[in-house]
Amino acid sequence: MKDKEYTENLIVRYLNGNCTPEEQKELKAWIEESADKRNEFLSIKDIWDSLNTPKDNTTEQLAIFYKNQYTKIKRSRIVWIHSFSVIAAILIVGLIFSVLVPTNSTKRSGSVQIFSVPLGSRSKVILADGTEVSLNSGSELKYSSGFSSTNREVSLTGEGFFNVKSDPKHPFTVKTSDFDIKVTGTKFNVCSYLDNKFSTTTLAEGKIGLQMSGSSEILNVAPGEKFQIDRETKKFSFSDADVESEIAWKDGEFIFRKIPFPDLVQRLERCYDVKLICSGSELQNYAFTGRFKNQETIWQVLDALKLTSPIDYQKTTFREFKIIYKPLKNK
Amino acid sequence: MTEFDYLFGKYHRRLLLYTLKFVESESDALDIVQNVFIAIWENEKYKQKEDLVQAYLFNSIRNGCLNYLKHQRIVQKFENRTSIQLSEMEALHYQSGEKSLIERENLKQINDAIDSLPVMYKEIIVLSRFEGLKNSEIANQLNLPIRTVETRVFRALSALKEKISRKSFFTLLFFRGLR
Repeated sequence: MKDKEYTENLIVRYLNGNCTPEEQKELKAWIEESADKRNEFLSIKDIWDSLNTPKDNTTEQLAIFYKNQYTKIKRSRIVWIHSFSVIAAILIVGLIFSVLVPTNSTKRSGSVQIFSVPLGSRSKVILADGTEVSLNSGSELKYSSGFSSTNREVSLTGEGFFNVKSDPKHPFTVKTSDFDIKVTGTKFNVCSYLDNKFSTTTLAEGKIGLQMSGSSEILNVAPGEKFQIDRETKKFSFSDADVESEIAWKDGEFIFRKIPFPDLVQRLERCYDVKLICSGSELQNYAFTGRFKNQETIWQVLDALKLTSPIDYQKTTFREFKIIYKPLKNK
Repeated sequence: MTEFDYLFGKYHRRLLLYTLKFVESESDALDIVQNVFIAIWENEKYKQKEDLVQAYLFNSIRNGCLNYLKHQRIVQKFENRTSIQLSEMEALHYQSGEKSLIERENLKQINDAIDSLPVMYKEIIVLSRFEGLKNSEIANQLNLPIRTVETRVFRALSALKEKISRKSFFTLLFFRGLR
C-alpha cells in the first residue's frame, strides 16, 4: 500500500514537472514492469493533459498561419512575374515578325478564342473593338481570331453584360443557342445558360434586334424591356424588366426580387460554386426577395435565408449543403 | 467562414493540447501544429469529410511529435533522455490505435467534470494544473505536507477519470437506447 502511494506521488511529481532525473528513471522502470502499470500511468496522464484553461489563442494562430501563407504566395508570385517577362519577350519578338513578314491570308479563320469563367467567379473582357463584356459564373465567350472592329461577332453560353462600342456601319452580333442579337451600340444583358429553362435578354439602353435561330424575322427590343424564351417550346414573351436587379451581378451584387425558390438555388449554386440539395416540395412555391453585396459567404447567405424564411440548412460535405423545409415558429 | 477557417477554429486548440502531451516546449508545439495545418492547406486534405480530416490531423500531429522527439534525443543533454523516452513510449502507444480523451471527448465537457468534484479536489486541480504552481508552492499555500498535496492531486485525477469513463458509458447506453 505504502509502495502504491509512493508511485502515485512520483507520477504527480512527473506531471507537475519536478521530477529529478533519478526519479524519472525510477518511474520509467515502474511503468515497464507491466502493461497494466503502463496503462494506469498513461490514463492518469491523459486526464491531466486534457484539462485545459479557457485561455485560447486560436485566432492569433490563424492570423500567423495566413501571414506565413501570404509571404509564401508573394515569393511564388515573383517567380511568376519572372516567367511572365520571358513570355512577354517571346510575344514581342513574334509581333515584330508578324509585322515585318506580311502574310497572304488576311482572314485567319479556323482558330477560335475561348474565354471561360469558372463557377464561383466573374470576369471582364475588353474585345479588340473596345466592347466591354462582363461574364458571370460558369459562362463562356467565343470569338474567332478574325474578330476585329469590322468583323464583330461573338457567341455566348451563360450570362454576360455587353457594353458595345458604337459603330453603325459594323453591327455587333452575339450568338446564343436560341437566338442571335444584332446591335450597333448598346448596353444589354444576355442570360443563356444551357441548364436554364429560359433564355433571356434585357436591354439597358440603345436598341437591339433579335433573330431567332432558324428564322429570318427580326424582333426589336426596347430599352427597359426583357425578352424571354422558353428554350424547349420556343415560346417567347416581352415584359418590363427590373434592369437594376438584372444586371447587379456585374458589380458583385446579388439582387433578386420575387424569384421562385428553384431559381434562387440555381443562382446561388453558380455564384458560389456549391451544390444545394433540397428535399421536399414545400419550398417550391415560395418566392424570394433579397439583396446581397456578394461579399457575403455562402454561410452568411444561408444564415440570412434561415432567419427570414422557413428553411434550415446543413453542411453535408465539401461545397455541398442540404436545404430542409422548416416552418417558422409563430412568435 | 471558409472550410479551412472552420477546421482551424475547431481543431487548433485540441491539437495543441495533444501535441503538448508529447512535447514540453510550447513554442515548439505551436510550430508542429502550424506545420500540420500548412500541410492540409497545401495538399487540400481539408476539403475531405470531417471525420477523415480529424483522423488525419491527429495522426499527422503524432508523426510530427515522433520526429521532433527523435531529433531532441540527439540535441538534448543526457539528463533529459528518460523524459524523451517516456514521451516516445506514449506517442507510440497512441500510434497503435488508442485514442486520447483530447481526440475522443469534448474539451468543455472534461472541464465541466471538474466542477462536479469535491471542493478539496477542485481546488488542488486549479492550483496545480491551471495556475501551474509547483507542488511545494501549493503545500506552502495550503499549509499541507508536500506528500499530502501529491496524493490529493492523484486522487483528484482518479476521481475525474472515474467520472469521465462513467459518463461515456452512459452516453453509450443512451445511444444504444435510441436505436
